[in-house]
Amino acid sequence: MATVPVTLARPRTRPLISWRVHKLLVGYAYLIPAALCMLATVVVPIGLAIKMSLYNNVLYKPQDYHFIGLGNYLRLVQDPVFWLTLWNSVVWVFGSVLLQFIAGFAAALLLQQTFRGRALVRTLTLLPWIIPGVVVGLIWEWLYQPNYGVINDLLMRAGLMQERVAWLSSPDLAMTAVVFTNVWRGIPFFTIMLLAGLQAVPDELYEAAQVDGASVLGRFWHITLPLLRPIIVVATATRIIWTFNYADLIFVMTGGGPANATQITSTYTLVQAYSTLDFGYASALSVVLLLVMLAFTAGYLRITKGVEEID
Amino acid sequence: MNDRRSRSRRKFLHTLAGAGVIAATDLPWWEAPFITPRKAWGAEPVRFQWSVPEPTRITLMNSLVERFNQSQKDFVVQIEYVPQAQARQKLISAITGGSPPDLCQAWDNWVGQFNGMGAVEDITARAKSWQHYSDVAPTAWQTVTLNNQIISLPLALTLDGVYYRTDRLKELGLKEPTPDWTWDEFLALAKAFTKIDKNQYGYGMRGGGTWALLYPSEFAYANGAVVLENGKLTVNSKEAVDAFAWYFDLALKHKVTPPSAATDGFVEIVEAFGRGVTSMYQHNSGSSGQQKKNVGADKFATLPVPIGPAKKRASFWFSETLTMFKGAKNKEGAWQFMSFMLEDEPSLKYCTTLGLLPARKSILDKPEFSKDPALAGFVNSFPIGIVSPYLAFPGWGGKIDSDGVPLIQQAMLGKISAKECLDRFAEILKKEMT
Repeated sequence: MATVPVTLARPRTRPLISWRVHKLLVGYAYLIPAALCMLATVVVPIGLAIKMSLYNNVLYKPQDYHFIGLGNYLRLVQDPVFWLTLWNSVVWVFGSVLLQFIAGFAAALLLQQTFRGRALVRTLTLLPWIIPGVVVGLIWEWLYQPNYGVINDLLMRAGLMQERVAWLSSPDLAMTAVVFTNVWRGIPFFTIMLLAGLQAVPDELYEAAQVDGASVLGRFWHITLPLLRPIIVVATATRIIWTFNYADLIFVMTGGGPANATQITSTYTLVQAYSTLDFGYASALSVVLLLVMLAFTAGYLRITKGVEEID
Repeated sequence: MNDRRSRSRRKFLHTLAGAGVIAATDLPWWEAPFITPRKAWGAEPVRFQWSVPEPTRITLMNSLVERFNQSQKDFVVQIEYVPQAQARQKLISAITGGSPPDLCQAWDNWVGQFNGMGAVEDITARAKSWQHYSDVAPTAWQTVTLNNQIISLPLALTLDGVYYRTDRLKELGLKEPTPDWTWDEFLALAKAFTKIDKNQYGYGMRGGGTWALLYPSEFAYANGAVVLENGKLTVNSKEAVDAFAWYFDLALKHKVTPPSAATDGFVEIVEAFGRGVTSMYQHNSGSSGQQKKNVGADKFATLPVPIGPAKKRASFWFSETLTMFKGAKNKEGAWQFMSFMLEDEPSLKYCTTLGLLPARKSILDKPEFSKDPALAGFVNSFPIGIVSPYLAFPGWGGKIDSDGVPLIQQAMLGKISAKECLDRFAEILKKEMT
């Protein structure tokens, strides 16, 4: 009897790792370069700053370099200037962002309308945002100059003022003056963001609401505002973080003065690091700034989850 | 015909080339950018950081460096310009990172901090064997000597004096102040100059930057105060408090200062005088050149600071230095350039261009300094010049900026008294007396 060769089916070898795990690992492998970059440029510096904040590290006293634990943080709690700068930061950040938002929204609504020369006006609106922060600071410093600045001159010519006002030299006015400058600079940011959002709102919604008899205010409240909410949340949160860390304008215009009236925590950190060379204390200030920002970001993430739900 | 024409053309070209060479060699060396620098093949580079890069200084320094590079073949200086506001910070970062330049231009109050960081090269041996050692004013050496070690070369000096408008004096029919004027005369003149309705003020008080504290400190010395006495801190003595109170009253009581005084820094006080807003201000000779352009050389003059109730006065002496770092890769090249900068012609050119005073006595005696009315106040201040007492401890420099200036601003605005200002400042300085 002839034998028929039989080829037995070989059992499939089981892969060392499952396809699912393999896919997962490949995904992670793609992330490695970015993760390494983040590690080197963000995580390691933060770790070093935290370590530095635990040491007495005054650069011109290398012989006094030693571990002091939470000494810099205790000093910070007892430092009245730190608390003043924290309060100034709150005024600076929320004063600036709130006014930027209101004015930016108004400008966006205006630029959404159809009128002749709209393209030119939209381009011009961007100007304050295009100019570098340091240049903005210098321009406004000269505008505010009490002796030969344009603002005082115009107000006196208009008869609105009898005496020259030292806008940046008066502790009562200096913060308002720098906030106003920051508002001027930040309006275009909100205008552009909100204008983009407004253009994405379908006209049919407004038409339907109009047919139903909704007033202008009603349409704004029930259509415009809810649909722009995701953009508003993202824009304001981003702007708050930026402004909190934004020291250029104050540094150029007042240097934190007069008498610390415009000193915010980020400028105070710079002064501690580069005037007194106290890197230990400056690091402690940076770490506290980081914690404040982290707390804010946590709140921000919760809000953006809300945004996703809307989506 | 053609031959004659070509000969004539050749002759013309030769003449032209010859004239060019003669003209080029006839140029003063600092105006010689058209001469191609001699290539120093294999020359070792010297990294040199320079702050305050405004156009005049850049042009001046470029020509001086070019001259040095042409004058020898072993070293080539590479200049790195850094804005003054960032210069100190950049140097600190470089020192901390272990890669400082070979050499830098720095003020003596910075050098103390760099020395505290263990970063500055001790040049005592080189300086003492240098041919011009004994020609440098002893006070200039004091400003760059720490713990009996010379750590820099004093490139130029500054002493504070008072600028005043001579044309305004004539316009108002006022008497010319004399070099031995007193506080009372100073105040009377400041009041006479003040015409608020015309936006004119008598005295451009400074509220911004380190000198916001140093200027009233000079007034305190005129009242018999000192910052340190036998190693004990006396910055808040009664004499100092009285002098500071008198000084702040210029703004608070007599209102002879512009409303912006509390934040006016160097640029603002110089600008206000130049624009006719103020008729007097306190500064060193460094702004004399600018005022010659702004108000005209014949419309202002300078005087030493006024004599106080203690029949004394003092002007703080600072040096603009050339400082070599321990981590320098080319110390010999750095030294060669430092010493070159203090040679007769470079030093004269540097100081006359920038309105500074040279550290070498033989150069200071030249008519460019001794006969210039814009500099008379500063040259006459040499006998009352003392090394700034705030150079005593390396930590004091930073504390003046971070804590002292805000205190001065509060006092200028009447938020705190002179006594409170100085008592709080004394507490801060005490912690840094190591």
